[in-house]
Amino acid sequence: MKKLLLALFCSVLLVVPALAQEDETETYVLGVVQPFTGSLGSFGSDFARGIDLAVMQMNAELEAAGSSVRFETASADTEGTPDGAARAVQTVVQTTGAEVIVGPLTTAEVLGAKQFADENGVVLVAPASSGAAGGIPGDNIFRVMYPPDNYAARAFAQIAIERGYENIAALYVDDPFGNGLIDTFTEEFQALGGSTVESIAYSPEPTDLSGEVTRLSANADSLSAEGSTAVFCVCFLADAQRVLQQAQVDPVLSDIDWMGIENLANPELLEAGFADFLQNANFVSVSFADTQTPLTQPFIDSFTEEYGDAPGPFTNYAFDAANIAMLTMLTVGNDGDAVKSMLPFVSNHYIGTAVQAYLDENGDQAIVVYGVFEVAEDGSDFALIGRYDGATGELTFDVEE
Amino acid sequence: MTTTLIVDSLVRSFQVGSLYALMALGITLTMTVIKLPNFAHAEYVTVGAYVALVMSMAGISNPLLVMMGAGMGAVIVALLSHYIVFLPLERRSPSLYTMLLASFSVGLIIRYIIFLFVDRFDMFDKRIQIPLEIWIRNREIGLVLTNVFFWVVPTSILLVLALSLLLNFTPVGREMRALADNLDLARVLGIRVERVKVLTWVLVGAMAGIAGALWGLSTAINPLMGWVVILSVFAAAILGGLSSFTGTILGAYIVGLSENTLMQVLHSYVGLDFSFKPAIPFIIIVLVLVLRPQAFAEIFSGARGLDR
Repeated sequence: MKKLLLALFCSVLLVVPALAQEDETETYVLGVVQPFTGSLGSFGSDFARGIDLAVMQMNAELEAAGSSVRFETASADTEGTPDGAARAVQTVVQTTGAEVIVGPLTTAEVLGAKQFADENGVVLVAPASSGAAGGIPGDNIFRVMYPPDNYAARAFAQIAIERGYENIAALYVDDPFGNGLIDTFTEEFQALGGSTVESIAYSPEPTDLSGEVTRLSANADSLSAEGSTAVFCVCFLADAQRVLQQAQVDPVLSDIDWMGIENLANPELLEAGFADFLQNANFVSVSFADTQTPLTQPFIDSFTEEYGDAPGPFTNYAFDAANIAMLTMLTVGNDGDAVKSMLPFVSNHYIGTAVQAYLDENGDQAIVVYGVFEVAEDGSDFALIGRYDGATGELTFDVEE
Repeated sequence: MTTTLIVDSLVRSFQVGSLYALMALGITLTMTVIKLPNFAHAEYVTVGAYVALVMSMAGISNPLLVMMGAGMGAVIVALLSHYIVFLPLERRSPSLYTMLLASFSVGLIIRYIIFLFVDRFDMFDKRIQIPLEIWIRNREIGLVLTNVFFWVVPTSILLVLALSLLLNFTPVGREMRALADNLDLARVLGIRVERVKVLTWVLVGAMAGIAGALWGLSTAINPLMGWVVILSVFAAAILGGLSSFTGTILGAYIVGLSENTLMQVLHSYVGLDFSFKPAIPFIIIVLVLVLRPQAFAEIFSGARGLDR
C-alpha cells in the first residue's frame, strides 16, 4: 500500500508540472466599455464587433507565431451616459483586472469615466470621442484615431470668413461636445475678423425644439440687419431633423445660409426631404476625411465575412483602437501605467484602417484633414468641394475626389 | 420680445399643450379607474409613433388611417401589459408602490423590445414621410400655421371632447366614473369591473398611440421619444390632481405654455438658457406637490374622481 501511495505521489509530481507547462498561456483582458443600450446602442454594438474582430485576428497571429499570449475581452454597458460609463469602467476593472479599456464612445461618457481611470491607473483608448473638453494633457485618456473637434471648429470659422459671413446665429447641444465646439468656433471666428456669434444652447435630450428654433430665427433676423449672417447648427442628427422641419417654413431661416457639423452631412437628411432646403441654404459641413490605406479594404472584407454585414460608421476606429491597445500591451504587459507611457510610441507607428495615427500632447489624434461638403447638384448625396488641413490651417476649395 | 416671438411661442404652446392633453388624459384615466400611476404609458406613445412610421414607410399617407393604425398598435400593447402583468398583480392586492414599480418594469421591457426592433430594421431617428405645408401665414405678426398644426390641434381637441362625452353621457362612462369613485361599491352595484377596466385600457392605448403618431409628425422618431416626453405629461396630469379630467387638460396647456411662452420670456428678460427647459415640468411637479397637492382637481370636481 505504501508503495502504491508513493507511486501515486510521484506520478502527481510528474504530471502537474507537465499540465502547468501546457497551460502557460498568458491571457490579457481588454476591457470593452461602450453604450450597448440607449440611443447610441447600435454604435456600441457595432464597435464591440470591430473590437472582437481585432482580438480574433490578433489571437490567430499570436498562435501562428507560437506566442503564449492571448487576448480576451470583457464588456460593460455605459447606457450612453457619463454615470453609466463610470460604472461600466469600474465594473470591468474590478471584476476582471483589466487595466486597458477600449471606449467609451462619446466625450461625455469619456469624461464621466475619467476620474476613476486616472485615479486607478486605467488607460482608456477612445475610438471616436472628439469633444474639445476631452483634450487634457497627461491624463489616462487616448483618442487615437478621430481628431478633436477644435480642429473642426477652426475649419468652420475659416469657411465662414471665406464665405463672407460677418455674424453667426448658432444653435448647439448643451453638452461637452457642443460647448467645446461652439466656444472654439466663436474664438476662432472672431480672431479671424468675424463679428457676432449669437448662440442658443438646447438640452441634450429635448422634448421639443420649437422654442429654440423660433429664438434662432429671431437672432438670425436681428443679426442679418447688421451684416451678412449664417446659421451654424451644432446638433445631433435627430435634433437637426426637428430643427430643419421647422426652419423650412420659417421666413428667416429658409432664406439664409446654413453650416452644420459632420452629423448633418448625412444622406439621411436628404432622404428625409431636406435636400432642397439645404441646397437653397448653401449648406456646408466638414467631415474628417477618411482616406484609403492598405488596411482599409482588408478590414471591410474581414468584418463582412465574420458578421455578414458591412461595418457601421466609425467601427474601423474601434478596430484600430483595439489594435493599438493590444500592440501596446504586447510590449509592456497588462500594466496601465506602462501602457500609458508606451501607447503614444505605438500609436505613432500604427497604420490605421483609414488614417495614420499620430498623437499630440493631449494624447489625441493630430493628423487632421477634413473634407468640406455641400449638397450635390442632384440632391442625392453630399459632394466634396474642399479640404481643410488642421496641421497647417489651410483651407482649399475645388478639390477633386 | 418681438411680436413674432410671442405669437409663435403661443402657437407652439397650443400645439404642444394639445398633445400633452391627449397623453395626460390617459395617465389620469389609468390612475383613477385602474388605480395605477402608469409609467409604461410613455412606451404606448412610442409604439404609436413607430406604427405610424412603418405605415408611412409602407406608402400609407392618409392621416386618418395612420392614426387608426397607431392607436390600434398601442391598444394591443396596452392590453398585453394589462393581461400579462397588471391584472395578475391586481389579484394579489398589491400596494401602489408595487404597481408603480411594475409599470416602470413593463415600460422598460417594452422600450427595449422597441430598441431590438428598431435596431434590426435601422429605424432610429426616422421621420413620418408627410410633407410640411404652410396653410396660414401672416407676415405682419409672424404667424405660421402648418398642416401639422391643423392635424394635431383639431384631432387632439376632438378626441378630448369625444372622451369627455363618453365619460359623461354614456353608460360605460358612468361605470368608469363609478370605478374611479369607489371600486368596491361599483362591484356591489353589479358593474362588470373587469370589462370596464379593459375598455379603459383600450381608450388609454388608443389615445397614447394617436398622440404618438401626431407627435411623430413634428419630430424624429426614436425608442426614447415617449420616455423623454413623459415627465411633461405627468406634470400636466399632476396639475389635474391625477383625477380631474378638466384639470388635466388645463394642466397640459399650462405645461405647454411654460415650456414655450414662459421659456421665451425668461430667456428674453432673465437670460435663462433653453437647456434649462426640461427642468420646467419638474418644477411644476414639485411646486404642485408642495403647495397644492390636489391642484385643479378641487376646483373642477370638488371631490375625488373624474369630473362630473
